[in-house]
Amino acid sequence: MFKSSRPKANLPTSHLTLIDILKVSVSGLRTRKLRSALSALGITIGIAAVVGVLGLSASGNADLIRELDSLGTNLLTVEAGQGFRTEEATLPDGAAGMVLRITPVYEVSTVTRISGQVFRNDLIQDGKTKGITIFASDLNLLRSQRGSMKSGEFLNSMNSAYPVVVLGSVAAERLGIKNVADLKLLWIGEEWFSIVGIMNPLPLAADLDRAAIIGYGAAQEYFGHDGEVDTIYVRAYPEYVEDVRSVMAATVNPENPEEVQVSRASDVLEARAVANSTFTNLFMGLGAVALLVGGIGIANVMVIAVIERRGEIGLRRAIGATKFHIGIQFITESLILACIGGIMGIIVGMIVTTIYANTQGWYIVIPQSAIYIGIGSSILIGSVAGFYPAMRAANMSPTEALRSS
Amino acid sequence: MNEPADQNIPAVELIDVSKTYEGTPPVKALSNISMSVSKGELIGIIGASGSGKSTLLHVIGTLTRPTGGSVFINGVETSGLTDQELSGIRSRYVGFIFQDFFLLPGFTAQENVENGLLYTNFPAADRNERAREILDRVGLSHRVNHLPNEMSGGEQQRVAVARALVHKPAFVLADEPTGNLDSKNTEGVLDLLIGLNSDGTTVILITHDQDVAEKCSRRVSFKDGKIDDSLSG
Repeated sequence: MFKSSRPKANLPTSHLTLIDILKVSVSGLRTRKLRSALSALGITIGIAAVVGVLGLSASGNADLIRELDSLGTNLLTVEAGQGFRTEEATLPDGAAGMVLRITPVYEVSTVTRISGQVFRNDLIQDGKTKGITIFASDLNLLRSQRGSMKSGEFLNSMNSAYPVVVLGSVAAERLGIKNVADLKLLWIGEEWFSIVGIMNPLPLAADLDRAAIIGYGAAQEYFGHDGEVDTIYVRAYPEYVEDVRSVMAATVNPENPEEVQVSRASDVLEARAVANSTFTNLFMGLGAVALLVGGIGIANVMVIAVIERRGEIGLRRAIGATKFHIGIQFITESLILACIGGIMGIIVGMIVTTIYANTQGWYIVIPQSAIYIGIGSSILIGSVAGFYPAMRAANMSPTEALRSS
Repeated sequence: MNEPADQNIPAVELIDVSKTYEGTPPVKALSNISMSVSKGELIGIIGASGSGKSTLLHVIGTLTRPTGGSVFINGVETSGLTDQELSGIRSRYVGFIFQDFFLLPGFTAQENVENGLLYTNFPAADRNERAREILDRVGLSHRVNHLPNEMSGGEQQRVAVARALVHKPAFVLADEPTGNLDSKNTEGVLDLLIGLNSDGTTVILITHDQDVAEKCSRRVSFKDGKIDDSLSG
C-alpha cells in the first residue's frame, strides 16, 4: 500500500525557533516570579562578591601603585645594625657625607633618636609619654620622604636651633592636636617647645609618624646631642638604586660593613600589595562558595519545577515538542535565571566597589576580567545547574506526565 | 495543512496492535486491535476504566509505542520512527483534548491556543490571528485575554478544544473531555465537538460514559484490552 511507503523526507517535523525558546522559558519563569527571583538572588550574591573583590583589589592595588609612584622606590634607609662586636653598633661620624659622595645619590637626610619625653604641659607625671619619641632631623627630611605638611611648616634654617618642634601625624593625634593653632607649646625634656608644624603620614618611614621632630641645633642646645646619626635616608637615581645599595655598607662603615643595615622603604609597600592579593584569593574563594550555593539553589528550583510542571511537559510533548525542545526550554530557564542573577551581581559588585573605593579615596578600577568572569560563571552555573533537571524533563515519559493528577 | 489528496487516507489505522507493560506479571493492556478511523468521522471509544482505552489513546496519539502491530497516522506508518519524527507527527496531525484541560497557567486563552502552533513551523506573526479565529469558532471571542483561572471549566475546555484545532490536525483525540464538567457544560462541549465534526473535523472521543458515546456516529467498545463487538456499532 502506498500509505506505508511514504518517504521519510515528507514527514512533518517539529520546530521551535530561538525566539520561541526564549519566550517559552521567560513565561515559565514569569509564572513563578518570587521563586525565580529568590534563586537568582543566590547568584547575585556570589557574582557581586567576586566582582567586588576583584574590583576592590584592583582599586586598592591601583592606589598602592599610585602611592609607590608618588613616594618613589628609590629611597634607601641606612641604619646601624647588629654587628659581631659586643657594644652597640653605631654609624660612624661623617657617614652622611660619605654617602653623598656616591655618584647616583642626589639627596641625603638624617635623623637621630634623642632620649627624652614629650608632654602637653609640665604637670604630667613622668612615664605617661603616649609612646612619642623625639628625633633630631635634617631640614630636608620632609623632601627626602616626599612628605607633606598637614598644618604649619617644617623646620627651617631660621628656627631649627631654637626650641621648636614638628609633630608626626600619629604623635599629633595622640596629643590631641589637629592644628598648630590648637596648642602652642609642648613640654619636651625640660623645656617648652613651640609647635610649628604637623606632618601628614610618611608611608616610607612610619617611625617618624610617632615622633616629635626638632632640629640638630636644638638637640645640641637642649639635650646635649653630640652630632651622632642613627638613620640616613638616601635618595638615588632609580636606575642605580641597586648599585648604590650594594656599595652602601662599605661606604658608610669601611671597617665594619656588617654593622650597617640597608633597606629599601618601598619594599614594605610592595609587600602590602602581595598581602592584598592573598586576601583577594581568600575572598575569591568565599565568592566561589557563594556561587556554588547559588548554583545549587537554581538546580533545586529547577528540579522542583520539573516535578510541578509534569502536566506542562506532557502537554508540550502532546502538541509536538521533541525531547530536545523540552530540555532546551528548561536549560534556557536556568540560564536566564543565572544570567539575571549574574548581571545583578555585576551591578551590585560595581556599586560596592565604587562606594568603598570612594570612602578610601581610591581610584575606581573595575577590571574587565571581573565582568567577563561574572558573565562567564553565570553561564557556566546556569548550564550546569539546569542540565540535570532538563534531562529529567526531556526524558519524562509523556504518558506518565499526562496522567491525571 | 492536510492536502485534499489525503482525504481518502484514514486518519488513523491500527493493524493488529498490542501493548504489554513490563512487570511481574506483565500487563497486556491491548491485544491485537485492528480498527480504522476515516476522515470526517465522529467515533466514540467506550470502556470502563482499566479496559485499555487510555493506552489506546496514547498509542493513537503516538505518545507511546505499541509492542506489536502497526499504527498509521494520516497514512504514515509510525513504527520505527524516532522520538523527533513522532513529535513531528503529533505537531501536525494530532489535536489532543484532555480531561484536565492542561491549559498553562499564566497564559491567556489566546496564548494557550497559540501554543498549539508553537512546534509546527507556523509563522509566528500569523499565530495571533489564527488563534483569535479559532477562539471565535468555539464561541470564546469575549475571553481572548482571560487567564485560565478566570474562566469556568466549560470555557477552559473550549480553549483546549481551540488549541487542539488551531493547527488543523488530521484528527482530534478527546480523552474524557467532559469528565471534569457539570452536565450543562458537558452538553456545551459535546455540542461543540459535534458541530466541529459536521464541519469536517475528525473526532475520536474516548469516554466511559454511555450517554456521551450515544452522540457519536460510530462506537467501538473496549473490554479487557480487546474490542467488544457485541457493544460496538
